[in-house]
Amino acid sequence: MNKTVRIKPLLTLLFVFGLLLAACGPSPSEPSSETGGTLRVAFEALVQTDPALISSDAEIFVANAVFDYLIDVDPVSNQPKPRLATDWTVSDDGTTYVFNLADGVTFHDGSPLTAEDVVWTFDRLRDPESGFATVDLYSDIASVEATGDLEVTFTLAGPNPFFLYDLSDNHALILKADSEDPANFNGTGPFSVESYSPEDRIVLAANPNYFVDGQPALDHVEIIFFADEGAMVDALRGGQVDLVMRMSTPLFQSLQDVDGIETTVIPTNGFDLVRLRADREPGNDPRVIQAMKLATDREAILELVQQGYGAIGNDSPIGPLYEAYHDPDVAPPARDVEAARALLAEAGYADGLDLTIHVPNTGGRPDLAAALKDQWADAGINIEISVEPEEVYYGDNGWLEVDLGITGWGSRPYPQFYLDTMLVSGAVWNESHFSDTEFDQLAAIAGTTLDETERVDAYSQIQQLSADRGPVIIPYYFPQFGAISDKFTGFQLEAFAGRTDLQTISLK
Amino acid sequence: MATTAQTSNGSAATASEAKQRFFAFLGRLMQRPAHAAGIIIFLTFLLMAIFGPVIAPYGFNEQIVEHARQGLSARHWFGADTLGRDVFSRVLLGARDIFSLAGTGTLIAVVIGTSLGLISGYRGGWFDEILMRFFDSLLALPALLLALLLLGTLGPSRQSVLLVIVIVYIPIVARVVRSVVLSVKTRTYIEAARVQGESSARILFREILPSVIPALAVEAALRFSYAIFLASSLGFLGVGVQPPSPDWGLMVNEARDTLSQTPWALYFPAAAISLVVNLMADGLKSALQVKGDLP
Repeated sequence: MNKTVRIKPLLTLLFVFGLLLAACGPSPSEPSSETGGTLRVAFEALVQTDPALISSDAEIFVANAVFDYLIDVDPVSNQPKPRLATDWTVSDDGTTYVFNLADGVTFHDGSPLTAEDVVWTFDRLRDPESGFATVDLYSDIASVEATGDLEVTFTLAGPNPFFLYDLSDNHALILKADSEDPANFNGTGPFSVESYSPEDRIVLAANPNYFVDGQPALDHVEIIFFADEGAMVDALRGGQVDLVMRMSTPLFQSLQDVDGIETTVIPTNGFDLVRLRADREPGNDPRVIQAMKLATDREAILELVQQGYGAIGNDSPIGPLYEAYHDPDVAPPARDVEAARALLAEAGYADGLDLTIHVPNTGGRPDLAAALKDQWADAGINIEISVEPEEVYYGDNGWLEVDLGITGWGSRPYPQFYLDTMLVSGAVWNESHFSDTEFDQLAAIAGTTLDETERVDAYSQIQQLSADRGPVIIPYYFPQFGAISDKFTGFQLEAFAGRTDLQTISLK
Repeated sequence: MATTAQTSNGSAATASEAKQRFFAFLGRLMQRPAHAAGIIIFLTFLLMAIFGPVIAPYGFNEQIVEHARQGLSARHWFGADTLGRDVFSRVLLGARDIFSLAGTGTLIAVVIGTSLGLISGYRGGWFDEILMRFFDSLLALPALLLALLLLGTLGPSRQSVLLVIVIVYIPIVARVVRSVVLSVKTRTYIEAARVQGESSARILFREILPSVIPALAVEAALRFSYAIFLASSLGFLGVGVQPPSPDWGLMVNEARDTLSQTPWALYFPAAAISLVVNLMADGLKSALQVKGDLP
């Protein structure tokens, strides 16, 4: 008995001391073995392998290596660029698209790619019976026809200026016509699957018949599955993997100045938004959300939550990366606690406003909530924070019901997506239940006009409207992080990490 | 006269005896450093809990952008976390939060558990059978698992954690009390009280309860320490008290991501937990187990 009593405190002290030592000591870095043309990538495990059903970065990353899209979007210029489709023509009324497919493309099973494969793929993705996420996206396609061996014609029900981007949707990977099992990796892509052990790893081998000369440069790619970001970063440090994409800001910071590792950060159009339901109290009084905007210190949030990475938000989903569409002159009001208080008093909350904010437990979102709690308290807005696992926050569509919430929105190549799914009246993910006739009209103009100037103008007005009375606060657009062993070159990180191309990466 | 002298002599004797006993107790405590450490840590943290808000240089969620992620300094003794909050203030204010949470939970559990244990042990019969089988089924589940099950239903909040502590500890306290009651209730003085026609309530609370108290004191001290551990564990798992509360477990959880940047934001609350739970629990337990020697 006495012995235990004496030993336990000693152990405790040793434990504390050990922790301190661990803090001071350098992290062990063993020399990594020669990779010989094999790139090892850390990612979360795959759940879906049928391209129509994939959604996570890892799933899309593998699919993008094994299959090909018709069209890609260039990560730098944000413009559509050829992949399986070498060139295309659009009719003057913007409703007919004719694509020419690359010659000499074969599937991994040896059969050649034809226009029929493209037709079958898109008919599958837009089949209302299928229940796929793409049915809605492709509902404006009237028909897809093979107008030649290597020529496909899409006819639209009406003009859609973003149709090329729609064709590059994450799910739109070209499958072999009449594939009985679309999940079996029979693609035309730069890599074929050599072995796949679920929960462990998937090994890809270069496709020797890939239709682009000289690609891919790597012999093999191993995608090793990890349960969490911390373990991925540790594996990179220890030389067990060569490439990690998508990680938290602190983990990215911890990789700075580590020998043998090159870090990349790129801006994206993705953002975390704080939104207040606009269809019931207290959000149905626009002065409340205006007071919240006035009480928010965006510079402080960017510094604390994002450690300075990313860009200040203007409360609209049309971020600075959209270049021409983004209006740099629109800015939400600067922080003014007194004005916020006054607005709240006018709205009938002179004694303060109590609300619960619902937050998914991922990324910097809990930190954002804690920062808001501190800032808003100055203006008399008192929030209780409820941190929830993602499956609880999004489960049963709870996120669409709560009054006050924080939601992360991933980066998209064009801004209309956000307006149509998040902010127009009755939109499928209109989490703030916002309904504004003027906004709807502007969004409709921007989404259908073929006149670029008119669209730019509509987007500018939408940004001003969002900053003034929109139901959301977008404090920042977040960056995307990546880190790769310096033995490799040609790594070009995408805003949507899963769409990062493997073809361009090679050994130094 | 004689009677008075005797009385004053007697009281003087009692006073000096009490004094002696107190110093003897202190002496014994000091002979065993673990006991002393336990008591000193308990008192230190108790003082922190009481005077924390007066001492703490910053608020628990007060964020200073310019100080974010700064190391240990005269301004921030324990450094500042990734949101620019003073870790020293948070650990200090966390002591109050967790002591009041664990203290209230333990107190309620002890009151209810003792009552149930007394009645169950004294009455016996079907009431005892049903209650004890029910408690057995609760005890069959590990405390943390039971807590997670309850919190899954209740949703995470301070009140839920309080309720969890109460529900997890009632069966344990009741069991301990019942076992003492069972050994005491066959003694002759209880028989005598019953023969005298004393009411059950009087027998329970006047005759039996005093015999239960020593065991109860040890049990309560242990429960209190482990309630802190349970609340911290739940905070660490993210299902307990919600941010930005300065709950130690939650602080460790939040600082995990930023370990390489702000290790101090993890080490200090972690050290607080291990000091309180290990040293305080052991010290308090052994100190209280020195039976009948309490001053």
